[in-house]
Amino acid sequence: MSEPQENSTSPETLEVGLKGYIALVVAIIFFSGVLSSSKGWITALDFSTITGTFGMIKGANQSFTFLGAGGTGARYAFLFGLSLVPAVMLALGCIEIFTHLGALRAAQKLLTVILRPVLGIPGACALTLVTALQSTDAAAIMTKQLRDGSITNERERVILVAWQYPASGIMVNYFASGAALFAVLAVPISLPLAVIIIMKFVGANLVRLYLAFFYKGADLSE
Amino acid sequence: MNDKTLLDLFVDGARKGWTVGINSILPNLVMAFALMQILTITGAMKLIGLIFGPMMGVFGLPGEAVTVLLTSWLSMAGGVGVAASLHSQSLLDSTQISILMPAIYLMGAQVQYMGRLLGVSATPKRWWPLLFANSIITAVISMVIMRAFV
Repeated sequence: MSEPQENSTSPETLEVGLKGYIALVVAIIFFSGVLSSSKGWITALDFSTITGTFGMIKGANQSFTFLGAGGTGARYAFLFGLSLVPAVMLALGCIEIFTHLGALRAAQKLLTVILRPVLGIPGACALTLVTALQSTDAAAIMTKQLRDGSITNERERVILVAWQYPASGIMVNYFASGAALFAVLAVPISLPLAVIIIMKFVGANLVRLYLAFFYKGADLSE
Repeated sequence: MNDKTLLDLFVDGARKGWTVGINSILPNLVMAFALMQILTITGAMKLIGLIFGPMMGVFGLPGEAVTVLLTSWLSMAGGVGVAASLHSQSLLDSTQISILMPAIYLMGAQVQYMGRLLGVSATPKRWWPLLFANSIITAVISMVIMRAFV
């Protein structure tokens, strides 16, 4: 086997400044909704506060947003979809900034340390996991490269894919399409997201257990 | 090195949001609401509700909720659209939407990601059923967890 290819994901070469960690914390606070019921200047750090509200149109007995009341079918779906676009633009704009400031690199650095005990895969997979939160396609290619470069063995590759497959690209998908349901959730928008991420780890470990049970110590690559 | 300001970056991201919104969310919502309109008018929705009532009842959901999961399986945004439509018809309340929310994504777009993830990562086909089942299992567990939260 050839030497593992040079890989920018090794923990030694990954520089994460204080800025990256601050960006990660701010990103979590911003999207978590923990400040949604706060008052004053601090709510500038709350996603739903910055998203704002549509103006109301005064009817005879009641006020409405531009969606009105009683719409159905494709026409209602269109206006409803249009009403979601501002929140999606805000979310993806902010994710772009947090990413630039190093929030994802900070998450990657923190993940690198815990991947072996938590998932049984090499720390070098951290970049793939973090990438998979935003881009299914980029992460899929990275997964192949990790296997081709023998950085992961077959067992580790299957576990890595098992982590990615449920709720793939979740950070983009959740804040894009999920926006349609944010207003009607009975819980903070961060709670379902947290459950999703936890379930990714649970699922990967179910697969890890399955492989440990049915293919104990076997080389799976034949 | 990088002469883009944070404001430029925001605008780049917001532009992506516009593209996703107009090219993905809107068409998916129109599809879902039109489909639900047909299911409701023909009475198929009532039938689905009766047939899947007992199964979905385990998770504190009405039988109609199965349409959310079936649509999610093909498209996450489609599943969300169906859930929004059922909510607008008062067939799902806030609590039930919350229970469904993680499951929509955990088992979401499996068919599409079969190609984009399992295929592109060159994962051998013999692992696909395992990975497939795993996503469904995580979705089922998530509904049990969410039910405990709301």
